[in-house]
Amino acid sequence: MVMAQVDTSARQGESRLSIVTLALLLFGIFLSFAGCQQSDERQVVTIWHQMVPREREALNRLIEQFEATHSAIRVRALYKETEELRSGFQVAALAGIGPELVYGPSDVLGAFHAMGIVKDMAPWFSEQIEDEFLEGALTYFPAADDPRRRELVQISDRLGNHLALVYNRDFIATPPQTTDELIELGKKNTIDADGDGRYERYGLVWNFVEPFFAIPFLTGHGGWVFDDSGQPTPALDTPECVAALEMILALRDEHGIVPRSCDYETADSLFKSGSAAMIINGDWSWVDYLETKGIDAAIAPLPIVSSTGRPMGPMVSPKGYSLNGFADAEAAQSAMEFVRFATGEQSQRELLNEIRILPSRKAVLQDPVLLSDPTLSASRQQLANGRMMPVDTELRAVWDAMRPHYQSLLGGKLTATAAAKAMQQDALRGIKLLNRKSSTGPAAWIWQLTGILLIAGLVVWQRQSLIEFLPDVRRQPFAYLLIAPALATIGLTVVFPFFYNVALSLSDMSLSNFQDWSIIGLQNYREVLSEAMFFWVLLKTLVWTAVNVLFHVGIGVLLAIAINGPIRGKMIYRILLIIPWAVPAYITALTWRSMFHFDYGAVNLLASNLLGIDPINWWNDPGPAFTACIVANVWLGYPFMMVIALGGLQGIPGELYEAARIDGATRWQQFCNVTLPLLKPVLAPAVTLGAIWTFNNLNVIWLVSNGGEPADKTHILVSYVYKAVFNLYRYGYGSALSMVIFAILLVASLVSLMRSRATENVYG
Amino acid sequence: MDKPTEPRTVSLLRHAILILFAAISVYPVLTVVSISLRPSNQLQSTDLSIIPEGWSFDSYVELLAEEPFLRWLGNSLLVATLVTLTGVAMAAIGGYALSRFKFIGRQATMLALLTTQMFPATMLLLPLYLLIAKLHLVNTFLGLMIFYVSTALPFCIWQMKGFYDTIPTSLEEAARIDGCGQFDAFLRVILPVAVPGLVITALFSFMTAWSEYIVAAQVLQDSQLFTLPLGIKSFQASMSTQWGLYAAASILVSLPVVIVFLALSKYLVSGMTLGAVKE
Repeated sequence: MVMAQVDTSARQGESRLSIVTLALLLFGIFLSFAGCQQSDERQVVTIWHQMVPREREALNRLIEQFEATHSAIRVRALYKETEELRSGFQVAALAGIGPELVYGPSDVLGAFHAMGIVKDMAPWFSEQIEDEFLEGALTYFPAADDPRRRELVQISDRLGNHLALVYNRDFIATPPQTTDELIELGKKNTIDADGDGRYERYGLVWNFVEPFFAIPFLTGHGGWVFDDSGQPTPALDTPECVAALEMILALRDEHGIVPRSCDYETADSLFKSGSAAMIINGDWSWVDYLETKGIDAAIAPLPIVSSTGRPMGPMVSPKGYSLNGFADAEAAQSAMEFVRFATGEQSQRELLNEIRILPSRKAVLQDPVLLSDPTLSASRQQLANGRMMPVDTELRAVWDAMRPHYQSLLGGKLTATAAAKAMQQDALRGIKLLNRKSSTGPAAWIWQLTGILLIAGLVVWQRQSLIEFLPDVRRQPFAYLLIAPALATIGLTVVFPFFYNVALSLSDMSLSNFQDWSIIGLQNYREVLSEAMFFWVLLKTLVWTAVNVLFHVGIGVLLAIAINGPIRGKMIYRILLIIPWAVPAYITALTWRSMFHFDYGAVNLLASNLLGIDPINWWNDPGPAFTACIVANVWLGYPFMMVIALGGLQGIPGELYEAARIDGATRWQQFCNVTLPLLKPVLAPAVTLGAIWTFNNLNVIWLVSNGGEPADKTHILVSYVYKAVFNLYRYGYGSALSMVIFAILLVASLVSLMRSRATENVYG
Repeated sequence: MDKPTEPRTVSLLRHAILILFAAISVYPVLTVVSISLRPSNQLQSTDLSIIPEGWSFDSYVELLAEEPFLRWLGNSLLVATLVTLTGVAMAAIGGYALSRFKFIGRQATMLALLTTQMFPATMLLLPLYLLIAKLHLVNTFLGLMIFYVSTALPFCIWQMKGFYDTIPTSLEEAARIDGCGQFDAFLRVILPVAVPGLVITALFSFMTAWSEYIVAAQVLQDSQLFTLPLGIKSFQASMSTQWGLYAAASILVSLPVVIVFLALSKYLVSGMTLGAVKE
């Protein structure tokens, strides 16, 4: 083995040279990318939007037309998911790197305006603009400094975003006028021909996970999310709301015309494959249904509730452009030119023709297409029954309060009365948290002083090391040289975020103190630790971590040992087994979600066909739902541990086994006395890191349980934090909770490190 | 090394375990294949067969012909390759320092590396934006690479340190006695033996850069610069996803990773470390 060190000095020089060359080359590549920006001189206007693919195509055509006539401006449209756009824009605008324009529905504007991150667009338009647009198509807010002055924060290019009834004409000749007719038609079309308990067709489907889809039932019974006081006070604990919830339950349980569990994708798939006669869905989806082959879809207004005589009215919202409050003057000017163009009459007519979306300008209402097209006329009728979505930030708290209890209701855990009551309570609590002004704590300098004292204490504590540091660097510069590049890179990206987060966790940063936050002390920490919910979620997170890591390592080592022997087809096995790791988790997590579907999921089908187990409604109960998340995450994680274990196994010399065999050791004894001890140093860091990653794994829980279903019961700490921070804009609280998570992990790893140091001495 | 033939039962047991888990590993991905072949644009289906009725490669054709998929692929390959090279180089030397030298702050460094993995993702969002803005890294691959290397490094260093620990120090000692310099002992004696560890490190760095989404979404603001995850995510909208394209792209994205693993697995089985202790 020790062979090639014969003529070293010449080779040494050579290898040093090649290392230097390689380093220079890498650095050069780095630099070339740093300088690799567009040489385009045009003013760039970036738009973040949340349009569905069909709308994006229309937008891109508008941009092309615009750029053709405005040669000095380049428009970039970037799609962002709803939540990502909302949370991303807040922080990006604050950092001064946000897009010039954001495009979306009006419900986030209240928050954006309160944070001061959107600019008044009125100066770019004349006074007449209000006469040109339909009522509700322009969104104004009173200015922060002078409540009498109104600021124009959104200009819409469409008015709608409303739900209606889509029906399949193969099954339904005339759409129902009343809910009684709807139920009758639904019953006729709910078919289980072979009597196996699985329906071939449902009468009606819709996404009954989201409360947005329950609003038409609420308005049909005369209710609304807020009361009539003019203040955004929730009105969920009302007889109207209870009646609406009861009706939804009755459709499923009494009349049996809707599936037992149904989220957006299920409803969509059922309708598209002809397995549902009717679907309630929004204007963004209709053209897709009209063009789906194999079904004959048509749009109709939602029916009148038979018991009240009121039409089911959806929420209506404008969608349009808002201007970044931090955009510089030149960029803002260009951005507004685009807004003028995109919301203009000609552009709206094109949108009308291309994607069958209702306009926001009065002049376009007379367009011949609007009068002749059956989809558009149904859409207009439906719009007339609709009610404008409130722009108050409080609506956010209402949605968040409704969702879990609505899901519990459908899971059979709550009665309609109890659900309505719980929704109201949570909504009031959420609004209070949203609008709360923090009490001021001791002045900031106290915290700065504490910080300085902490650092001083650290220095005193570690003085011996500090004194020895420089001499040690001189003694073995090689060691320090080797570790320096890695530490520098990591330090750059970690040190600042960490200390920034420490500051935030002591601050009152929230919706009302977004830009002018100040240090208030430990209040956030007190709040985190005084909530019973925190400890319950912590317990769940610990279970989640332990179970996952156990299975990851167990299965990983088992597979590594199975594959690391004289067997055929090693290569094929290895490739197949690596697949869960190789395929991006964001798609397989969604696959797992659908595999746990009650009616169509592979898990239930296998369980009932092979093992004769009754199908489980995975997403209705917290236990099964959490189990499903764990199964999905175990699947995602074992290939990684297998690879690590395999790498370790390859490093164990065969002679050791030989020696063990000669000593008469059984296979099991070989495993315990040779394999495990030698695998340990390779596996130990992987296990520690695996536990930390699992503890902090936001994506899987979020995607598999669809943001915490049912009823926010599947959260682990990180997803709980995510919800707390971004739904109610509680940045300070969220940072404190993050710090607590961090502290828990730190203490746990310190303990495990100390334990493993003892073993390290044995084998190291 | 002689290969003892195993009893039949052991061999059967191996195959039984491997077949079971291979099936479990593959099935969910086959459903993704199924979605990508489905003629209509939907995620779920009442039909459980893998090859759906009326299947077609339309999604793949559309993806390659009408979407800038190849550009995204090129961007991703570039970023992932550079991250892998830089990450492996830094981890190879950093891990060695931690494994072989007792320097001041060694324990602290080990802990600090681990600590970086403990930040909840939510904690980084706001400071990350501020940092990207301050360093003028918006819309550059450099910005992306710095973050990827620093995300992957802690694990890579730990992994390499663990691997060096399994290599007896007698190897370098022998080399030093033969007149080898410190660095040359590392480069010529230890590094070749550490190849299996380096391979895993490389694979991990590559995977980190290949599938990362959150940072990429913040750094890259121009669809010309998009990496694959950003491109794929753009097929998705909260209530209207092009499932066919999404699934087809996912399958094509996974292929390079499988291929990378295939190529690297040769090193894994080549048994570089066997015999290292013979001296």
